[in-house]
Amino acid sequence: MEFADSAEQSDLRSAVRAFVRRHATPDQVRAAMAGPTGYDPKIWERLATELGLAALAVPERFGGAGAGPGEVAVPVEEFGRVLLPSPYLSSAVAALVLAGAAAECPDAAGRYLPGLADGSVTGALVLGADVTADGGTADDRTVTGTGRNVVDGAAAGLLLVQAGAELFAVAASDAAVEPLETLDQTRRQAAIQFDRARAMPAGSAAPAIALYRVLLAAECAAAAEQCLGVTVDYLKTRRQFGRPIGSFQALRHRAADLAVAVSSAKATARAAVWTAATNTAADNTRASNTASAESADLSVLAPLAALHCSRTFLQVAGEMIQLHGGIGFTWEHEAHMYFKRAKSTQLLLGPASALRAEIGGAAGLLPA
Amino acid sequence: MPDADAFRADVRGWLSANLTGEFAPLVGSGGPGREHEFVQERMAWERRLGADSWIGLAWPESDGGRGLPWRHQVIFHEEYARAGAPARVGHIGEQLLGPTLLMFGTAEQRARFLPGILAGTQLWCQGYSEPGAGSDLAAVSTRARLDGDQWHLDGQKVWTSLAQFADWCFVLARTDPAAERHHGLSYLLVPMRQPGIEIRPIVQLTGTSEFNEVFFDDARAAAADIVGAPGDGWRVAMGTLAVERGVSTFGQQMGFQREFEAVLATARANGAIDDPDLSARIVEAWVGLQVMRYTAMATLGRPAADSPGTADVARTVANVNKLLWAPWHQRLGELAVDVAGAAATIAGPGYDLDHGQRLFLYTRADTIYGGSNEIQRNIVAERGLGLPRDPR
Repeated sequence: MEFADSAEQSDLRSAVRAFVRRHATPDQVRAAMAGPTGYDPKIWERLATELGLAALAVPERFGGAGAGPGEVAVPVEEFGRVLLPSPYLSSAVAALVLAGAAAECPDAAGRYLPGLADGSVTGALVLGADVTADGGTADDRTVTGTGRNVVDGAAAGLLLVQAGAELFAVAASDAAVEPLETLDQTRRQAAIQFDRARAMPAGSAAPAIALYRVLLAAECAAAAEQCLGVTVDYLKTRRQFGRPIGSFQALRHRAADLAVAVSSAKATARAAVWTAATNTAADNTRASNTASAESADLSVLAPLAALHCSRTFLQVAGEMIQLHGGIGFTWEHEAHMYFKRAKSTQLLLGPASALRAEIGGAAGLLPA
Repeated sequence: MPDADAFRADVRGWLSANLTGEFAPLVGSGGPGREHEFVQERMAWERRLGADSWIGLAWPESDGGRGLPWRHQVIFHEEYARAGAPARVGHIGEQLLGPTLLMFGTAEQRARFLPGILAGTQLWCQGYSEPGAGSDLAAVSTRARLDGDQWHLDGQKVWTSLAQFADWCFVLARTDPAAERHHGLSYLLVPMRQPGIEIRPIVQLTGTSEFNEVFFDDARAAAADIVGAPGDGWRVAMGTLAVERGVSTFGQQMGFQREFEAVLATARANGAIDDPDLSARIVEAWVGLQVMRYTAMATLGRPAADSPGTADVARTVANVNKLLWAPWHQRLGELAVDVAGAAATIAGPGYDLDHGQRLFLYTRADTIYGGSNEIQRNIVAERGLGLPRDPR
């Protein structure tokens, strides 16, 4: 397992950080989340075209850079750190999924990947929703049902819809999309209804679910690290009783516990990203069938990383408010934005009991 | 340099060829709560390890070690634990005194002491803690006075693991009675078998004794057997801790895996796995084990930013990892007896405890020894996060 950035990933991270410093300042983030779509289309266009981030996960023959989850995780982490509102994560997962399914589902890949690559189309995922599929042949499949919590769904042109174990690509224009106000204003959702909407097969739902969880875990770990950094800075500068509050053991010990939690979340997210990246690479060379026996199983690691990193993020964001005292309770301070992102992410990932059951089953701990 | 996979095969092959015959009963023996088991046999096992050069893997070849890189050391610890090889009786010499001599010892001291550790023939114990100096180690009050060619020691050490079997003890003693705190301490090498030393076992809450009290009543050490200069003992003792990179963590985690599997087997056998609360805790214990493994892999063995005064969590990885594993291990102990249920309330004849009972009781020590978790948090806060010290 590799836990450090490759040279290319490190360069990419520097470029994304430079972008974030210019285009994702706290004021810009707040302005974006208050806008009609919940994100700033100009920032999206810049990151899609100037930085070429939208094309990252799209195979070269569809106009992309042909990178994998290891590279996609870099902007996901850096945007997560500052809570930049953007459909990047959803759209990148859609691109990774379609790229992985391109061989068996060339129609969906050919129709959507070029648009995802140039950023003219964004994707959203409708997973775990109450949706069923009809139709017999690939040409006349339809989906019917409702997705109540479709993250980044309002502006998406492509919807990847789970129906049972299958995944379908549906044009948003073939569905009824209702934008929603969200508790976490940095990440909007939509309610989407499908009434016998035309659906192109896009492979199995499992890779979409796994990649979504892995990248959310990476985002949670990075955002948690940011919360810790902001909080530690405050503990060093805020003075009460004539000294920095960070000199009080009651607070130092809590900060230390958060540092331990953040270290563990970062490592776990990294392990999951690495596993997703090597699995993807193995898929792309399936003929050779040389997947390492040492590689961990994504069916275990994706729910495990999602469980651990989302609750760590929530723990750190909650402590961020408490350790800032009154200022941490204000709208003006950024702590509430992280707290809301953390809880929303955790709720969208589903109850811990369900993730545990999945982990226990996949790891062979619990009876099937 | 052997290739990593070849080295792993080599370790595995050696263990399966040697952990047989007279050593077969040692599988799974020793370690926390069980250090009293098979001591003579484990001393013989230590010599067998030494004879085939499995001690001092990390030490430089010029000092008799094998100069192997981090990855190989991890492999050795993993395979050692996977095979259930017995807890080492020589680890204090290999992991603590040896590295100290490599950093601070004279050429004469290295030539004199390292070969015995490498051969597994010379066992060491650590004389740091005292009744009045636990978390506050700088409060050491054992005194040593130089008279001619000998140090004379008076005082008491406590929580001294394996003192009853050790040939030597490295002792942190106050050699300058006028100095305070961490000034005026010296790091002395003291032979254990002498009239001035008395060892009394401490009976722990497990009913067994791993730890001892060691009393010095005009005990003697040769004038030359001091590491570093007189008064330099604090720097020497702390220097060893600073280079400890926690390679043994990987072996320890393999041991945790075995303990977890024992709990899981009990839960399957007695139906506890069907209880929703217990099954949730079983999965959480397993999740915690994976998280600790990834954290150790991501952090240990990587150099920290080495600018003094700069806060960097990477400088405190051993502390971070201990803050993860010690509470996890305690929860596993609690889970072990909860899975067993009321059966865990019955002890064997002579207060012979089973694995789960011992785990439940002994893991209370995990958050205390080697620096209590409160001390670990102080270190992470100060050295890792750069938070100001609290007034002491």
